[in-house]
Amino acid sequence: MHQSYRYAIMYFTIFSTLLLLSGAVLFVSKLGVSYESIELFYLGSTEQFCQPKSNFGLLETALPHFGAMGLLVFVIGHFLLFSPKQERQRAVLPVLVMFGAALLDIASGFIIVNGWTFFIWIKMAAFLTLQTVGMYLLYLVFKSTLMGIQKQALK
Amino acid sequence: MRPLLGGLLLFLILFLSADVLLKNDHIGLTPSHLSQTLFGNEEEYIEPITEHFLLELMHSDIFFMMMTLLTLSAVYARLCQNSTIRIVNINAVMISALLTILLLPLAYYVSTLFILPYIIAFYSWHILALFMAIASLYYLFIPQKSDF
Repeated sequence: MHQSYRYAIMYFTIFSTLLLLSGAVLFVSKLGVSYESIELFYLGSTEQFCQPKSNFGLLETALPHFGAMGLLVFVIGHFLLFSPKQERQRAVLPVLVMFGAALLDIASGFIIVNGWTFFIWIKMAAFLTLQTVGMYLLYLVFKSTLMGIQKQALK
Repeated sequence: MRPLLGGLLLFLILFLSADVLLKNDHIGLTPSHLSQTLFGNEEEYIEPITEHFLLELMHSDIFFMMMTLLTLSAVYARLCQNSTIRIVNINAVMISALLTILLLPLAYYVSTLFILPYIIAFYSWHILALFMAIASLYYLFIPQKSDF
Protein backbone atom coordinates (compact mmCIF):
# COMPACT_ATOMS: atom_id res chain seq x y z
CA MET A 1 0.00 0.00 0.00
CA HIS A 2 1.22 3.54 -0.80
CA GLN A 3 2.58 5.42 2.20
CA SER A 4 0.51 8.46 1.15
CA TYR A 5 -2.65 6.32 1.16
CA ARG A 6 -1.88 5.38 4.77
CA TYR A 7 -1.79 9.10 5.60
CA ALA A 8 -5.18 9.52 3.93
CA ILE A 9 -6.59 6.69 6.08
CA MET A 10 -5.18 8.30 9.22
CA TYR A 11 -6.89 11.57 8.37
CA PHE A 12 -10.05 9.61 7.61
CA THR A 13 -10.05 8.28 11.20
CA ILE A 14 -9.70 11.85 12.52
CA PHE A 15 -12.60 13.04 10.33
CA SER A 16 -14.72 10.06 11.41
CA THR A 17 -14.03 10.79 15.07
CA LEU A 18 -15.15 14.38 14.52
CA LEU A 19 -18.25 13.08 12.71
CA LEU A 20 -19.16 10.83 15.66
CA LEU A 21 -18.49 13.66 18.13
CA SER A 22 -20.60 16.16 16.21
CA GLY A 23 -23.36 13.53 16.03
CA ALA A 24 -23.18 13.14 19.81
CA VAL A 25 -23.34 16.91 20.36
CA LEU A 26 -26.36 17.14 18.02
CA PHE A 27 -28.08 14.25 19.83
CA VAL A 28 -27.57 15.85 23.25
CA SER A 29 -28.60 19.33 22.14
CA LYS A 30 -31.68 18.25 20.16
CA LEU A 31 -32.99 15.19 21.97
CA GLY A 32 -31.36 15.50 25.40
CA VAL A 33 -30.13 12.61 27.50
CA SER A 34 -33.19 11.77 29.60
CA TYR A 35 -36.22 9.60 28.84
CA GLU A 36 -38.54 12.62 29.24
CA SER A 37 -36.59 14.90 26.88
CA ILE A 38 -36.50 12.24 24.13
CA GLU A 39 -40.22 11.59 24.62
CA LEU A 40 -40.87 15.33 24.34
CA PHE A 41 -38.76 15.55 21.15
CA TYR A 42 -40.68 12.75 19.38
CA LEU A 43 -44.19 12.94 20.82
CA GLY A 44 -44.39 16.70 21.54
CA SER A 45 -46.40 18.36 24.30
CA THR A 46 -49.43 20.64 24.13
CA GLU A 47 -48.44 22.26 27.46
CA GLN A 48 -44.99 23.18 26.18
CA PHE A 49 -46.25 24.10 22.68
CA CYS A 50 -44.03 21.44 21.17
CA GLN A 51 -45.16 19.73 17.94
CA PRO A 52 -44.88 15.92 17.67
CA LYS A 53 -42.67 14.53 14.90
CA SER A 54 -44.33 13.00 11.84
CA ASN A 55 -43.19 9.88 9.99
CA PHE A 56 -42.30 11.94 6.92
CA GLY A 57 -40.41 14.45 9.06
CA LEU A 58 -38.33 11.61 10.46
CA LEU A 59 -37.82 10.15 7.00
CA GLU A 60 -36.10 13.37 5.92
CA THR A 61 -33.44 12.80 8.58
CA ALA A 62 -33.37 9.02 8.15
CA LEU A 63 -32.80 9.10 4.39
CA PRO A 64 -29.27 10.60 4.37
CA HIS A 65 -28.37 8.60 7.49
CA PHE A 66 -29.21 5.24 5.85
CA GLY A 67 -26.73 6.02 3.09
CA ALA A 68 -24.10 7.71 5.23
CA MET A 69 -24.04 5.25 8.12
CA GLY A 70 -23.98 2.20 5.87
CA LEU A 71 -21.13 3.70 3.88
CA LEU A 72 -19.20 4.79 6.99
CA VAL A 73 -19.37 1.37 8.69
CA PHE A 74 -18.46 -0.34 5.41
CA VAL A 75 -15.43 1.92 4.85
CA ILE A 76 -14.20 1.50 8.45
CA GLY A 77 -14.67 -2.27 8.22
CA HIS A 78 -12.93 -2.42 4.84
CA PHE A 79 -9.88 -0.57 6.22
CA LEU A 80 -9.61 -3.22 8.92
CA LEU A 81 -8.92 -5.76 6.14
CA PHE A 82 -5.45 -4.21 5.90
CA SER A 83 -4.77 -4.66 9.63
CA PRO A 84 -3.00 -7.70 11.17
CA LYS A 85 -4.99 -10.98 11.18
CA GLN A 86 -5.60 -10.94 14.95
CA GLU A 87 -7.14 -7.45 14.89
CA ARG A 88 -9.12 -8.29 11.76
CA GLN A 89 -10.77 -11.21 13.54
CA ARG A 90 -11.39 -9.05 16.62
CA ALA A 91 -13.19 -6.48 14.47
CA VAL A 92 -15.80 -8.73 12.82
CA LEU A 93 -18.27 -8.70 15.70
CA PRO A 94 -17.95 -4.91 16.40
CA VAL A 95 -18.57 -4.16 12.69
CA LEU A 96 -21.77 -6.24 12.75
CA VAL A 97 -22.80 -4.64 16.06
CA MET A 98 -22.21 -1.18 14.57
CA PHE A 99 -24.41 -1.97 11.55
CA GLY A 100 -27.15 -3.19 13.93
CA ALA A 101 -26.82 -0.22 16.29
CA ALA A 102 -26.97 2.24 13.38
CA LEU A 103 -30.12 0.57 12.05
CA LEU A 104 -31.79 0.55 15.47
CA ASP A 105 -30.77 4.16 16.11
CA ILE A 106 -32.49 5.30 12.91
CA ALA A 107 -35.50 2.97 13.08
CA SER A 108 -36.37 3.52 16.76
CA GLY A 109 -37.48 7.11 16.02
CA PHE A 110 -40.27 5.79 13.77
CA ILE A 111 -41.28 3.17 16.35
CA ILE A 112 -41.44 5.76 19.17
CA VAL A 113 -43.60 8.10 17.06
CA ASN A 114 -45.99 5.24 16.40
CA GLY A 115 -46.63 4.67 20.09
CA TRP A 116 -43.97 2.21 21.30
CA THR A 117 -42.39 4.50 23.91
CA PHE A 118 -40.29 1.63 25.29
CA PHE A 119 -38.04 2.17 22.26
CA ILE A 120 -36.79 5.41 23.84
CA TRP A 121 -34.51 3.19 25.97
CA ILE A 122 -33.48 1.23 22.88
CA LYS A 123 -32.76 4.46 21.02
CA MET A 124 -30.47 5.59 23.86
CA ALA A 125 -28.74 2.20 24.06
CA ALA A 126 -28.31 2.01 20.26
CA PHE A 127 -26.81 5.50 20.13
CA LEU A 128 -24.38 4.77 22.96
CA THR A 129 -23.37 1.48 21.34
CA LEU A 130 -22.88 3.17 17.96
CA GLN A 131 -20.60 5.81 19.48
CA THR A 132 -18.58 3.39 21.64
CA VAL A 133 -18.12 0.68 19.02
CA GLY A 134 -17.42 3.32 16.35
CA MET A 135 -14.65 4.85 18.47
CA TYR A 136 -13.20 1.39 19.16
CA LEU A 137 -13.11 0.47 15.45
CA LEU A 138 -11.58 3.83 14.56
CA TYR A 139 -8.93 3.23 17.22
CA LEU A 140 -8.11 -0.15 15.61
CA VAL A 141 -7.84 1.42 12.15
CA PHE A 142 -5.73 4.31 13.46
CA LYS A 143 -3.37 1.97 15.35
CA SER A 144 -2.80 -0.41 12.44
CA THR A 145 -2.32 2.47 9.97
CA LEU A 146 0.19 4.18 12.28
CA MET A 147 2.07 0.89 12.64
CA GLY A 148 2.14 0.59 8.84
CA ILE A 149 3.54 4.12 8.47
CA GLN A 150 6.23 3.45 11.09
CA LYS A 151 7.21 0.11 9.51
CA GLN A 152 7.50 1.73 6.08
CA ALA A 153 9.60 4.57 7.50
CA LEU A 154 12.03 2.09 9.11
CA LYS A 155 12.60 0.25 5.80
CA MET B 1 -10.30 1.76 -15.56
CA ARG B 2 -9.65 5.15 -17.21
CA PRO B 3 -13.28 6.04 -17.98
CA LEU B 4 -14.28 4.99 -14.46
CA LEU B 5 -11.68 7.14 -12.72
CA GLY B 6 -12.24 9.95 -15.22
CA GLY B 7 -15.95 10.00 -14.40
CA LEU B 8 -15.27 9.98 -10.68
CA LEU B 9 -12.78 12.83 -10.96
CA LEU B 10 -15.20 14.85 -13.09
CA PHE B 11 -17.89 14.47 -10.45
CA LEU B 12 -15.44 15.40 -7.68
CA ILE B 13 -14.51 18.58 -9.59
CA LEU B 14 -18.21 19.40 -9.98
CA PHE B 15 -18.83 18.72 -6.27
CA LEU B 16 -15.97 20.98 -5.18
CA SER B 17 -17.07 23.81 -7.50
CA ALA B 18 -20.72 23.49 -6.46
CA ASP B 19 -19.71 23.46 -2.78
CA VAL B 20 -17.93 26.82 -3.17
CA LEU B 21 -20.92 28.35 -4.97
CA LEU B 22 -23.44 26.99 -2.48
CA LYS B 23 -21.46 27.99 0.63
CA ASN B 24 -20.97 31.46 -0.86
CA ASP B 25 -24.74 31.78 -1.22
CA HIS B 26 -25.66 29.99 2.04
CA ILE B 27 -23.30 31.38 4.68
CA GLY B 28 -21.03 33.70 2.68
CA LEU B 29 -17.35 33.45 1.92
CA THR B 30 -16.33 37.04 2.57
CA PRO B 31 -15.61 38.24 6.13
CA SER B 32 -18.55 40.70 6.14
CA HIS B 33 -21.09 38.24 4.67
CA LEU B 34 -20.03 35.38 6.97
CA SER B 35 -20.04 37.64 10.02
CA GLN B 36 -23.57 38.77 9.10
CA THR B 37 -24.70 35.13 8.76
CA LEU B 38 -23.16 34.05 12.08
CA PHE B 39 -24.15 37.03 14.22
CA GLY B 40 -26.99 38.68 12.30
CA ASN B 41 -27.42 42.34 11.45
CA GLU B 42 -29.94 44.48 13.35
CA GLU B 43 -29.90 47.29 10.78
CA GLU B 44 -30.87 44.93 7.97
CA TYR B 45 -33.15 42.75 10.15
CA ILE B 46 -31.02 39.65 9.57
CA GLU B 47 -31.32 36.98 12.28
CA PRO B 48 -28.15 35.19 13.43
CA ILE B 49 -27.95 31.46 12.69
CA THR B 50 -28.96 29.08 15.46
CA GLU B 51 -26.61 26.67 17.21
CA HIS B 52 -28.53 23.75 15.68
CA PHE B 53 -28.07 25.12 12.17
CA LEU B 54 -24.31 25.42 12.72
CA LEU B 55 -24.05 21.91 14.20
CA GLU B 56 -26.08 20.34 11.38
CA LEU B 57 -24.05 22.20 8.77
CA MET B 58 -20.79 20.99 10.32
CA HIS B 59 -22.05 17.43 10.75
CA SER B 60 -23.00 17.02 7.10
CA ASP B 61 -19.89 18.93 5.93
CA ILE B 62 -17.58 16.59 7.84
CA PHE B 63 -19.11 13.55 6.16
CA PHE B 64 -18.94 14.89 2.61
CA MET B 65 -15.47 16.36 3.16
CA MET B 66 -14.20 13.06 4.54
CA MET B 67 -15.58 10.90 1.73
CA THR B 68 -14.51 13.34 -1.02
CA LEU B 69 -10.98 13.70 0.28
CA LEU B 70 -10.53 10.00 0.97
CA THR B 71 -11.63 9.06 -2.56
CA LEU B 72 -9.60 11.83 -4.15
CA SER B 73 -6.48 10.95 -2.14
CA ALA B 74 -6.81 7.28 -3.07
CA VAL B 75 -6.92 8.17 -6.79
CA TYR B 76 -4.19 10.82 -6.54
CA ALA B 77 -1.91 8.50 -4.53
CA ARG B 78 -2.05 5.91 -7.32
CA LEU B 79 -1.59 8.33 -10.21
CA CYS B 80 0.95 10.89 -8.98
CA GLN B 81 4.45 9.47 -9.44
CA ASN B 82 6.39 11.98 -7.31
CA SER B 83 6.08 10.70 -3.75
CA THR B 84 7.18 13.95 -2.07
CA ILE B 85 4.62 16.08 -3.92
CA ARG B 86 2.00 13.38 -3.30
CA ILE B 87 2.54 13.28 0.48
CA VAL B 88 2.80 17.09 0.81
CA ASN B 89 -0.43 17.64 -1.17
CA ILE B 90 -2.42 14.99 0.70
CA ASN B 91 -1.27 16.31 4.08
CA ALA B 92 -1.91 19.95 3.09
CA VAL B 93 -5.45 19.30 1.78
CA MET B 94 -6.39 17.21 4.83
CA ILE B 95 -4.98 19.70 7.35
CA SER B 96 -6.69 22.68 5.71
CA ALA B 97 -9.99 20.74 5.59
CA LEU B 98 -9.64 19.86 9.28
CA LEU B 99 -8.93 23.52 10.02
CA THR B 100 -12.23 24.61 8.41
CA ILE B 101 -14.07 22.23 10.76
CA LEU B 102 -12.31 23.70 13.80
CA LEU B 103 -12.33 27.37 12.77
CA LEU B 104 -16.06 27.79 12.06
CA PRO B 105 -17.20 26.92 15.63
CA LEU B 106 -14.30 28.99 16.97
CA ALA B 107 -15.57 31.96 14.93
CA TYR B 108 -19.11 31.40 16.22
CA TYR B 109 -18.37 30.75 19.90
CA VAL B 110 -15.01 32.42 20.62
CA SER B 111 -14.09 35.36 18.42
CA THR B 112 -14.75 36.99 15.05
CA LEU B 113 -10.97 36.88 14.57
CA PHE B 114 -11.39 33.29 13.35
CA ILE B 115 -13.63 34.29 10.42
CA LEU B 116 -10.81 35.22 8.04
CA PRO B 117 -8.69 32.11 8.86
CA TYR B 118 -11.83 30.00 8.24
CA ILE B 119 -12.32 31.54 4.80
CA ILE B 120 -8.62 31.07 3.96
CA ALA B 121 -8.72 27.41 5.10
CA PHE B 122 -11.96 26.83 3.16
CA TYR B 123 -10.53 28.19 -0.11
CA SER B 124 -7.20 26.41 0.52
CA TRP B 125 -8.68 22.92 0.77
CA HIS B 126 -10.96 23.50 -2.20
CA ILE B 127 -8.15 24.84 -4.39
CA LEU B 128 -5.79 22.03 -3.34
CA ALA B 129 -8.45 19.38 -3.89
CA LEU B 130 -9.30 20.85 -7.31
CA PHE B 131 -5.60 20.86 -8.16
CA MET B 132 -5.31 17.19 -7.12
CA ALA B 133 -8.37 16.24 -9.16
CA ILE B 134 -7.16 18.10 -12.28
CA ALA B 135 -3.62 16.71 -11.85
CA SER B 136 -5.09 13.19 -11.55
CA LEU B 137 -7.05 13.72 -14.77
CA TYR B 138 -3.82 14.88 -16.43
CA TYR B 139 -1.87 11.82 -15.23
CA LEU B 140 -4.77 9.61 -16.29
CA PHE B 141 -5.25 10.82 -19.85
CA ILE B 142 -1.90 12.34 -20.89
CA PRO B 143 0.70 9.58 -21.44
CA GLN B 144 3.59 9.88 -18.95
CA LYS B 145 7.28 9.12 -19.60
CA SER B 146 7.04 6.07 -17.30
CA ASP B 147 4.30 4.64 -19.55
CA PHE B 148 6.73 4.12 -22.45
